[in-house]
Amino acid sequence: MLLSIEPDGPVPIYQQIRDRIVEAIARGRQPAGSSLPSIRQLAVDLGVNFHTVNKGYDLLRQEGLLRLGRKSGAVVRRDAGSGPPDPGWATDWTGRLRTLLAEAAAQGMPATGIVGECEAALADFAFPAAVAEAWNGSGSPP
Amino acid sequence: MSLAAVSPVLVVGALTCSLPAVTRPTLQFGVRVPRERAGAPVIGRERRAYYWRTAAIGVCCTLVAVTVQGHWPPWLTRIILLPELAADFGCFWVARRKIAAVKNADNWFAGLRQTVVADTSWRTDPPRFPVRWLVPALAVMAATAAVGALRYPGLPAHIVNGSGHRVPKSAVTVLIVAGQLYFTAVYSGLMLIVHRSRPDIEAADPAASTLRYRRFLTAVTRALLTMAALADLGLLLIALPDWQVYRLSGIGRALPVLPFAAGVLLLGAVAARTGQGGSRLNGNVRGLAPAAGTDRDDDRFWKAGLLYVNRDDPAIVVGARFGVGWTLNFGNRTAWLILAGTVAWWAGLAVIGAAAGM
Repeated sequence: MLLSIEPDGPVPIYQQIRDRIVEAIARGRQPAGSSLPSIRQLAVDLGVNFHTVNKGYDLLRQEGLLRLGRKSGAVVRRDAGSGPPDPGWATDWTGRLRTLLAEAAAQGMPATGIVGECEAALADFAFPAAVAEAWNGSGSPP
Repeated sequence: MSLAAVSPVLVVGALTCSLPAVTRPTLQFGVRVPRERAGAPVIGRERRAYYWRTAAIGVCCTLVAVTVQGHWPPWLTRIILLPELAADFGCFWVARRKIAAVKNADNWFAGLRQTVVADTSWRTDPPRFPVRWLVPALAVMAATAAVGALRYPGLPAHIVNGSGHRVPKSAVTVLIVAGQLYFTAVYSGLMLIVHRSRPDIEAADPAASTLRYRRFLTAVTRALLTMAALADLGLLLIALPDWQVYRLSGIGRALPVLPFAAGVLLLGAVAARTGQGGSRLNGNVRGLAPAAGTDRDDDRFWKAGLLYVNRDDPAIVVGARFGVGWTLNFGNRTAWLILAGTVAWWAGLAVIGAAAGM
């Protein structure tokens, strides 16, 4: 997996690390059970402080996407095929999505444009076969 | 003519002159430039000027070395290296200043997405250290130990070495063994550290540049381990006359220099073939990964364009900014410990040599 960050960008580096790993999991490039570099190794490879990578990994751990162990290192805990998410997480995510969509609407983005962007993003993700079939059958995203 | 006294001046002149040719196009004289600016007129102009200036300096210094050798002692001839290196650095500095001035005036990085890319497979599927290439160096060390053990008891307490000095036999033996240990341990140790350090990945072409860097690292590690074996062999050839195995006279006295020269030539050939971080190698896998942006403008971390100082970067070793190789991150305490260890080692050898009257 190629992990790209903008060290001088407006988004904090730890957040960028977390976002890139989430995207890689969604695209199927880091399936459940696959390893990620240790905190020290990723900090060296990106040329950033250990604490920055630690913060990004800790976010992923709190979200249930990453398992951090002394022996096993950083291992992806779940992916698109790991079953439905925790109900509490889904409620929280819906709230954040609503805010994100509201931002687009407030900026004057047309509804068709918003839906188009969502579909393009979803098409890039690696859903398990059963979910993808359900999507194709209903003609709308799962 | 004393080849040993003159050749370092010539070799250093040739190496410093050729450095821009093996450095990646996006790193010109220590200045990071976007890929689309690599062909800017100021860069071409400064490269040509650097070649001419350093070539002239190399020729002048070699002529001076040839003229004074025989009149001056060999160590004094080698001192010409200092003004030669200082003048070459001056040429580098002038080119760097002019390119940086145009870059800053025209704001070359304005509007570009500056990124840093890491390839996680570098850690989950790391390149293997070529342990088998250590065998020649270990074999030479074993041969040296065997010959030394056989010859040592029969030697007189003091022997006359190749320089004509009368020295204790123990000092000669210790210095030869320590020298071989140094070349083998330091070269393999440094390459082990380099294998754990980060690869030079270009943001504009991350997948291909990672592939090229893997091939570059393998080639350079093999060349350096071969160089260690050749350096060990050179030390063995220096020790054999001292241990009274054979005597060399006339041009034959240059024999121990040949393995060192072969090692330097090998390294030069590998560097010319691979380029900085493998930038001259083929490794076209475009399409596997999209361009992630432009390399980050990191000039502020490079003091004088050559010394890397970044306290936030935990890396101990990073790719050299100018030419082929690696350098230390002087913002990291471990790097200073490595430097202190190296200096202490050489100081220790100098003290042993001085105490033995060598």
